[in-house]
Order: sequence, then C-alpha cells, then structure tokens
Amino acid sequence: MGCCCSTDKDSNQNGESNERTHLLGNAVSNNTPIQRTPYDGLRYPGSVPKPTDEQSALNKILQQTATNVIDVAALDSHNLEQHEYVERARQYIQKAQAVQPVLLSKYSKLILAKNSAVLKDMPAIDNLLIDSPICVMNYHMMMKNSSKISKALNEIHIEHKEDLVVPFAIP
Amino acid sequence: MEELRKYVACILQRVDGLLAIIITDRDGVPLVKVALDSAPEMALRPSYLSTFSAMATDQAGKLGVGKNNKIISIYSNYQVIQMNKSPLTISLIASKTANTGQLVNLENDLLVVVNDLASSVVD
Repeated sequence: MGCCCSTDKDSNQNGESNERTHLLGNAVSNNTPIQRTPYDGLRYPGSVPKPTDEQSALNKILQQTATNVIDVAALDSHNLEQHEYVERARQYIQKAQAVQPVLLSKYSKLILAKNSAVLKDMPAIDNLLIDSPICVMNYHMMMKNSSKISKALNEIHIEHKEDLVVPFAIP
Repeated sequence: MEELRKYVACILQRVDGLLAIIITDRDGVPLVKVALDSAPEMALRPSYLSTFSAMATDQAGKLGVGKNNKIISIYSNYQVIQMNKSPLTISLIASKTANTGQLVNLENDLLVVVNDLASSVVD
C-alpha cells in the first residue's frame, strides 16, 4: 500500500522477497550438518548396546526426572492410622528406655551445666525488672565488698625474683 | 529417657516465647515432646508435623540451591521452625514475638539429643 513502512503481506505469500525476508532463507535449517561425535565411527567389538541396557538406561533417566520434578499436588500425604501411630510411639519409648542407663548420667551433667552457667537467658525479664529493689544494707555491703575486691586486684603485682630467660650451657 | 526429657524442658524454658519442642520421625510420630499448655494443639498434631519431613523439605531441596536444612514458618500468632536432622525432625513452636535467631540457635543444644535418639531408637 502507499503507507511508509507498511509490508505487503500478499507479496510475501507469493514468494517474493522484501525487507523482512531472510537473506539465507531456510538455508540453515535445511542444510544443518548432522552432528557426529568424533567417536561415532569407532565401534568396539561387543560394545553393541543391548535393548535391555537401553531400556534400563531409559528407566533410569525417567526415574531421575521423576525424582527431580517438584509436583506438590501429586504428593499424597501419607497419614498414619491411629493404631500405627500409637504402636510406633510405644516402640520408640521401649527402645529409648533400653538405653536409659547410658544417657542418664550424660543428661544429668548437661542439665547441671545449663543451669549453673554464670550468664544465662532470662525469660520474662519484665517480671524481674518490676520486682522490688534490694534493701539498702545489702546494697552497701555489695558496694563495700566489691570495692575491696577491686582494690585487692589492683594490688596484685609481679615480684621479680629470677631471670625469665635462662641460658642453657650449650657447649 | 526422663533425663533427656528434662534436658529438653530445660532448653524450652531458656527462650522466652518458646512453647513446644518436638522431635519426631518422618511421619510425625514424636520421640520427645515437651510443650507448654499454651502451645497450639493443631501444631502438635502428627498430620501437621509430618508435612515438613514428608513433603516440604524434600521438595524444597530440588529448587537448585542445595539441600534444605530448616524451614521457618511465621503465622499471625505463632512461628514454627522445623529442622531437618534426617532421619529425625526438630520442630520448635513459639509465639510470634519470640526471638527467631535465638530459636534457630537452639539447634546446637538439641543436636546432642537428636544424635542420641537417632542412634538408639531408629533402626
């Protein structure tokens, strides 16, 4: 038509070339060289793949693909029956009871360690903070003792008695 | 077993807002379950607990970013942290205000329990 940049679709259908026609046409797709690996010509005697091998390889690929696919809708949630659940829970308790003597001392120590730490997490800190303050006497005692301890720590000093580096008598 | 449960209960008390610690197998059958009364009953059911190990963690591991280790789900009132310690699973149920980082860090304390249970209980 008379419009600039318009394309005449009819001419395209008739096989005439225009600005949108590929210069090489379908040359690439028509003449795609067959990809051959360099080892195609080499066939070792006895290496002809058996149909069963091929089938198992295909099955393997299929299985691998099925494993890798994420399909949540296809997953059925395997819910245990109530009696299975109770039975299994009972078995777990029985097995755990069997090893109880071994675990007893270990966990007693662990509980002790968790409870005896100097720094520990304080749940519900707000309850602690709204608690009534300590009495004045205790406060003074703590201040006095801590100042004494601090003074004592400051007075610790190293007394020089002998040389740190001792030369051995090397012949 | 009683000492082990006491230890887990001791850990439960250490984090403010933590309502339950449950160690289950793949099907949600609990091996150790320590819960406060305020823990939501729905989140303690095997049908809920098993969805993590039976489906979520396995499927999430296929996304091309490696094996899935933990899933943190934050709901409007609660948060649930589930850790994949195959063949067992640790589930922590806490209120939404609990410190999530502190909860995740409990993994270190619970690892010893999971290892002992896995070696003694699971075939």
